[in-house]
Amino acid sequence: MQDKIFKALLILSAVLIPVIGGGIILSLTVDASGAFKEFGFWEFVFSDDWITTAGKEKYGALPFITGTLLTTALALLMCIPFSLPVALFTGEYFKGRKIAAVLGTVIDLLAGIPSIIYGLWGFYVLRGTFMYLDLSPQGSGILTASFVLAIMIVPYAASLSAEFIKMVPAELKEGAYAMGATRAEVIRRVIFPMAGSGIFSAFILAIGRALGETMTVTMLIGNTNQMPETLRTTGNTMASIIANQFGEADGLKLSSLIAIGLLLFLITAIINIIGKILIRRARHV
Amino acid sequence: MKKFCLPLIAGAMALSFAACGGSGSAGSVELSGAGATFPLPFYNMSFEGYDAATGNKVSYGGIGSGGGVRNLKDEIVDFAGSDAFLTDEEMKDMKPVVHIPTCMGAVVLAYNLPDVVKLNLSGDVIADIYAGKITKWNDARLAELNPDVKLPAKDIIVAYRSDGSGTTFIFTDYLSKVSENWKNTYGAGKTVDFPVGQAAKGNPGVAGIIAQTPYSFGYIGSEYAFAQKIPYASVKNSRGELITPSTESISAAAGDIPQDTRCSITNADAEGAYPISCFTWLLIYQEQHYGDRSMEQAKATVDLMKYMLADSVQQKTATVNYAPLPKKAIELSLQNLKTVTYDGQPILK
Amino acid sequence: MNKVKFRIFKSRLLFIMVCVLSGITAIPLVAILGEVLIKGWNQLGWSFITEATPNAYKAMIAAQAGEDIPGGIANGIVGTFLMLFLAAVVAIPVGILCGICLSEYRKSWFATFVSYLTDLLQGTPSIIIGIITYIWVVVPMKGYSAIAGSVALFIMMLPLIIRSTEETMKVLPDTLKEAGLALGGSYWRVMLKVMVPAALGSIFTGILLAISRVVGETAPLMFTALGGAAISWNMTKPMSAVPLLIWEFFNDPNLQNLIWGASLFLLVFVLCLNLLAKQVAKKWKV
Repeated sequence: MQDKIFKALLILSAVLIPVIGGGIILSLTVDASGAFKEFGFWEFVFSDDWITTAGKEKYGALPFITGTLLTTALALLMCIPFSLPVALFTGEYFKGRKIAAVLGTVIDLLAGIPSIIYGLWGFYVLRGTFMYLDLSPQGSGILTASFVLAIMIVPYAASLSAEFIKMVPAELKEGAYAMGATRAEVIRRVIFPMAGSGIFSAFILAIGRALGETMTVTMLIGNTNQMPETLRTTGNTMASIIANQFGEADGLKLSSLIAIGLLLFLITAIINIIGKILIRRARHV
Repeated sequence: MKKFCLPLIAGAMALSFAACGGSGSAGSVELSGAGATFPLPFYNMSFEGYDAATGNKVSYGGIGSGGGVRNLKDEIVDFAGSDAFLTDEEMKDMKPVVHIPTCMGAVVLAYNLPDVVKLNLSGDVIADIYAGKITKWNDARLAELNPDVKLPAKDIIVAYRSDGSGTTFIFTDYLSKVSENWKNTYGAGKTVDFPVGQAAKGNPGVAGIIAQTPYSFGYIGSEYAFAQKIPYASVKNSRGELITPSTESISAAAGDIPQDTRCSITNADAEGAYPISCFTWLLIYQEQHYGDRSMEQAKATVDLMKYMLADSVQQKTATVNYAPLPKKAIELSLQNLKTVTYDGQPILK
Repeated sequence: MNKVKFRIFKSRLLFIMVCVLSGITAIPLVAILGEVLIKGWNQLGWSFITEATPNAYKAMIAAQAGEDIPGGIANGIVGTFLMLFLAAVVAIPVGILCGICLSEYRKSWFATFVSYLTDLLQGTPSIIIGIITYIWVVVPMKGYSAIAGSVALFIMMLPLIIRSTEETMKVLPDTLKEAGLALGGSYWRVMLKVMVPAALGSIFTGILLAISRVVGETAPLMFTALGGAAISWNMTKPMSAVPLLIWEFFNDPNLQNLIWGASLFLLVFVLCLNLLAKQVAKKWKV
């Protein structure tokens, strides 16, 4: 009898997850439908209007989708040259040694810093530097936000990649060394091909992180609702427009913001699922 | 492991029970409001005074005028604060609302220019800076207004509000009055699609950007600029006088006030008037019995409005960098308060 | 011969580059810690953690007079702990049960499906959790509240606890369970008294990491708990939290002085949780 109750509890708690997941999609869709009905789904996605003036209201998600994709892509580009070396450092060169553990801890702590503190640091320290270097006229903008995003996702990409680099069988590497290969050649010809799909999935998951990052971006991107023209200009991402305007929106605007939320949810969900499927495969090679 | 966890949980639970016991202090009424950030310091000060005088607690969240009106619509607050009066269209969507002005303020144009201590502006120049037509500090039209100042050859970094804001409304209302181009292209509203610049949340957010960014320029509530000692510009009024915002020049802008006090006093045609001056209002429903509100709550709400109009409160406006209401506005508002009812019965006898 | 030398040179170069670039990665941590420490250190004090945030009026008067801003972040600390506690009290048992379920029925399609969904939930941007909690809790309750904040934190913590439980339970040897059952223990007793205690170290690590991840979250609290200037114990009313306060200070120049002290507090708290989790993981490795 007690066993039955226990098993029922187990199943019940597991059912909660699909309920939450389904609930999110359902609730967002219901509340977003106002915007989709008014403008049409594709028109909403591909329109770059964001006119909040009463009577002339017209909303489109394109500037924010662009902002999100742009910052994420830039952050990814900037994070690769750092996360790969870190992964090699901890997973290959100094595998199992104290210094690798130290760097590993540093990376873990970097991952632990709350995003609002990254934002503060970016705003008070980096912004001035960016203006001084004339990388951006007003300090904040796409470039600044992407740069800090890159720092934020390095830990995710690096620690997962290291895990896969560590998994490459020693016999394979030793075989290559025995044939006279240098370390660099072993890394290029043995480790990368073997761990490649795992490393790839690590970066996909890092993308998933960058897509939805809110506070840091809101503090650094400049919060303007136009299509970003260059990387030096300001913009808004899907997450930051919600953070900025959700608090006082109602009616059509609220519905439009929720619609953007739904799109963001779907994009991150797809990216994450792809990443997870790849990772599960890579782990069971 | 377990040994460590149990006392922790027990302790925390005891804490939360103690917490529940402490919250329900009986007797006094708790009022809640939300809205404009512009008069926040004034409201904090006055609501504390009201608490001391009556024992009624008032909480007020500075979430922006737009948010305040939305909360009033959702009937989750007793009153809303707004720097913009409700338009006729907005009024149509809602149950009857009474506007109670509480003080006067101004929107100032703050700037961050190293070595520049005095800046003069005119309405059309401001409009063109915000329209992206004037982009450099050393633009000829700026130089003409400021013959004695050496303006740098740098880009103007424009800042504006990202949230729905009464401050934005007052500012763009002014721009629409002085610039035909602004009126036709962008118009006035709580949020406007500014073509240039970067946005920040709340008056403080914009003030923060300006304080932190050399060569920046933006509109903020006067009280933040005064308190933060952020430099602000003098602006040409409709009579061609260059006016520095101050308590006196703001008061000078109050002209004719209609019965419901809903009026814009930007670009006022009066001597010595700062042209971007404004009232700020508290909004309450005329019929106070909505949701599960009690008679006591309704009474306290009206009482609070009356308190805000009292001389003792109005005299203190200047200590927090606002200007007091003109007598006419107080008279009209006291009349309007008499129309507020609970179940159809007037609350003030 | 030259070619060999070149190959060795290339290999050395790669090694040096890896070391240099890895070293650079540590710079932001040092820079951020340093910045927050230097600016925040002299703000931390007894009154900073026992007094509530001053309101805009008091802050303005102090700023105008050029004085130090009075008060501290006690309202945020209380709010963070209350909301976190309520979220954890629900998320921990539910998460562990769900984790057990996923591990026990790992071969069924349902468990695989739920397992993927958990990953998906874990990757959901926190701002979406904020919106959804607004729709589910704030709107029906007709107002912002600490409960809503707790719900948001609960949804964020749940997947982390589930996954750490599931992963740990999966690597426990089957023989452990079989031995327990063979000794005549009922199924639920064996699970809760044998399997869970055996996995406790890792589960605890997962819980610590879950807490450290949500304690610094701002976005899901903005539309749920909203914030408040006074110390509040009432879970049905708006409540502040340390990250919310930082956001508030960031937006108000009159309060800017408090920003670094609050950040230092949050940072130290989060990083200690992280390090503690690491220690626990090392000690109780399954």
